[in-house]
Amino acid sequence: MSFPPDERAFRADVARPVFRLSQSEGRWQVQSIEWPSVVISVTARGGAAHVFRFDCSGYPTTPPTGTLWDTAANTILPFDRWPRGNGGRVSAVFRPDWKNGTALYLPCDRVSIVGHDNWRTEQPSKIWRPGVGIIHYLELVYELLNCRDYIAPTGATA
Amino acid sequence: MSKIDVFYQGDGVGDLEHVEIDDGTTIAELKKLFSDKHGFDGDALVFLEDEDDPLDELADLKEHTHQAGVKAHVHRCRRVEVVVTFNGEAVDRSFGPGATIAKVKKWAAERKFEMSECDAGEHVLQITGTDERPAPGIHVGSLVACPKCRIEFDLVPDQRINGAE
Repeated sequence: MSFPPDERAFRADVARPVFRLSQSEGRWQVQSIEWPSVVISVTARGGAAHVFRFDCSGYPTTPPTGTLWDTAANTILPFDRWPRGNGGRVSAVFRPDWKNGTALYLPCDRVSIVGHDNWRTEQPSKIWRPGVGIIHYLELVYELLNCRDYIAPTGATA
Repeated sequence: MSKIDVFYQGDGVGDLEHVEIDDGTTIAELKKLFSDKHGFDGDALVFLEDEDDPLDELADLKEHTHQAGVKAHVHRCRRVEVVVTFNGEAVDRSFGPGATIAKVKKWAAERKFEMSECDAGEHVLQITGTDERPAPGIHVGSLVACPKCRIEFDLVPDQRINGAE
């Protein structure tokens, strides 16, 4: 089967051992690839899974952009089912008020980096790295969903 | 014969690697496979993740298998000297090269700098002199090359993301 170059690069990254080990250990799981959309669930503290949809056009040269996704309704997850925090790092990233919830407020996100050149010096470790790929974005999300600041929403799917 | 998934890191290995091994394989045979693939001589050692001591080469790999297989490390350094600096104070300890960044951070932040688990979660290890913050699953041995069996980190706050909107 022939894939466009960006999809081929993405599929190569999810075939890497570092990605497969995380899947084997239950940290995240690719649910579907309908290029350029990719749906991945990420496990949070307590065992609930949050589902994200990423637009990976131009991968990996162009960063992906991702948001929480309702797979049943095929739309952005209702905001009352988003992860919450105790006012710390979680709520700073999962922000329904940012771009109407279409992108996570992360330096590695294609949409959110625009207009945030300060992040390149203030948050260099969170800037998108094409050589690391989607695992970089997922590591940041996984860390947030498993930190002490994380509060599970009522509607999280286990 | 069934197979065992071995995920490993190591000296000069680069990205995490994977091999599929027959379940009757000994540690000595695994070491030979690593040595042939990565050009080690006979003094490389095989470790389990987060264990300080190398594996007995006569042991069967199957004894160390878990749900995801085996997480191993191959290195010529028997130990890696780790220095962590926080607020101008440095602490040090030697770890097996398969020690994860998560284990080193827990030791430094919670045991040596007496942070609560909550406060420790707000800090990360950054390689001194760089902006590199290795992921929690990275082995310290994969960040050093023998004969330099030493690495320094700063324990720094994981700043909340802010910015102009």
